[in-house]
Amino acid sequence: MTSERLIETLAAGLTPVRPRRLSRDALLLGAIGTVELALLLMLGGARRDLATVMMQPFFWWKLGTMAVLAAIGLVTALRSFDPTLSPRPGLRHATVAVGAALAIGWLLDATHRSGASLAARMQWRDGLHCMTVMALLSVPMFAGLAVLIRRSAPTDRTGTALAAGIAAAAWGAFVFTFACPHDDPLYVAIWYLAGCSLVVLAARWLLAPMARW
Amino acid sequence: MDGVRDEWSELMAAAQGGHGGAYRRLLGELRQWLTRYYARRLPPALVDDAVQDALIAIHQKRHTYDPARPFRPWLAAVARHKWIDRLRAMARERTDALPDDIATGDHEESVVSATVLRELMGTLKPAQADAIRLVKLEGYSIEEASAATGQSGSLVKVNIHRGLAKLAAIVRGRSDDE
Repeated sequence: MTSERLIETLAAGLTPVRPRRLSRDALLLGAIGTVELALLLMLGGARRDLATVMMQPFFWWKLGTMAVLAAIGLVTALRSFDPTLSPRPGLRHATVAVGAALAIGWLLDATHRSGASLAARMQWRDGLHCMTVMALLSVPMFAGLAVLIRRSAPTDRTGTALAAGIAAAAWGAFVFTFACPHDDPLYVAIWYLAGCSLVVLAARWLLAPMARW
Repeated sequence: MDGVRDEWSELMAAAQGGHGGAYRRLLGELRQWLTRYYARRLPPALVDDAVQDALIAIHQKRHTYDPARPFRPWLAAVARHKWIDRLRAMARERTDALPDDIATGDHEESVVSATVLRELMGTLKPAQADAIRLVKLEGYSIEEASAATGQSGSLVKVNIHRGLAKLAAIVRGRSDDE
């Protein structure tokens, strides 16, 4: 087919489209996140001692870290859906945020040194459970981002997939923070990092091909 | 150039609203831009395919253009993305040496025949050439050829007969010459 013929075909079959708006995509993801969090809290998924631990710095460190990472991931992913914008600066910001969060966690741990052994602090059984639940809680945001990726035009498939993975993983972990009874910085650093990495890895392999166009 | 950019932006905004005429014009202008773009970046044999790929991508992703923003960066990003795709595809493709026995029978005889026939038909009177073309080459009946040319059925037959006789004479004469 010649280019002239192709142009004729494309113009003849033209249908109106609604231009993509970043705010509309953000609203969709915001709605998914809000509904998920509301459901967890309304269905009694929150930890019983939530009011008490909200006075502790560990809780806010955990919650704040996940909120910041989710925000960076979401903004980076949403921006990268535009073909003119790269996700790489956002990914660098996320890396710096993880490093900063680990440093703050280490400081908190140092000031509130626990006498328990390393194995006792790790709590393998609970850790694996937390990792699994965290990954499951990331699924709604993961699915929402997958839909948006299909509709958009990212030019850095891997970068966009990683940003979406960070957003979904951190949001899942953020929601889980209200239910997770563990606040030990070592436990959080190991198991939350593992859970989030699992989701980011899944995003790398599942979402990157979806970003092809 | 800014004027062109603004115009493209307006044309794309109209296309997003379903305006086929604006879209046709825009794609026509973009085709030229894309041809220049890929001609500087790809082997000549790949330029047309790359242009068509980019046109299809522009069509499929036209909703991702925000009319409030300049059009050219969006276009350049799409073109660059498809260019990179094309380079990746080239890297994946194996380049094999051509075997010695790849040559096959060509269409030289048919091409020469068609060219020669067109040339010979050009030597006939238009009425004879029309009658031969319709009845002997395209398979229409005498009645259909008569209706198409406005000649009577008898005249069609006469023109075919005289025309073929003339062609035969010319061909014979050429054969003799050669």
